[in-house]
Amino acid sequence: MKQVWRLCTLGIVVLAVWISLLIKEFPILPREIVLALPIYSVVALACYGLAAVGYGLMVFPTCPQEAIMLQEEIAEAKEFLQKNGIDISNN
Amino acid sequence: MEIGDRSVGFLMLLSSVSIFAYYTFWVIILPFVDEDHFVHKYFLPQQYAILVPTFAGVLLLCSLTIFVGIVMLKGRNRKSHAN
Repeated sequence: MKQVWRLCTLGIVVLAVWISLLIKEFPILPREIVLALPIYSVVALACYGLAAVGYGLMVFPTCPQEAIMLQEEIAEAKEFLQKNGIDISNN
Repeated sequence: MEIGDRSVGFLMLLSSVSIFAYYTFWVIILPFVDEDHFVHKYFLPQQYAILVPTFAGVLLLCSLTIFVGIVMLKGRNRKSHAN
């Protein structure tokens, strides 16, 4: 529950900052930039997501030796179970 | 297989970084550049900065919904065959 309120507070703060940027009397940024900021944040989030997935795919650890060992152990276990008369077929 | 995954990840990282840099330059920096500067030739008009991401988002949402629908239909077919 606390996390929800934290997120709500963050959203309200961001909204307040954006609305304060919209006030015409004190133009800190040009108006076209301020109007494009919401969709800019969406694009930035999408880019972050794509980059995170790409980086995770790039540094994903693989262990081929362990995979071979695991397959050998599976074959050994199947042989052992079949020798002792236990049904391990898929259906 | 492993090399292919790694190169796909690298391509995704590279494309996302370049899209972010291009879009940042387009939206944030370009309004400060003079109207007759030669850099303006390499960017579409400002309204496309909103149009293109919106269209891409709608397209993504549509394809995701169609994919989920196809998966649900397949799952129901399989269940009815099993019974």
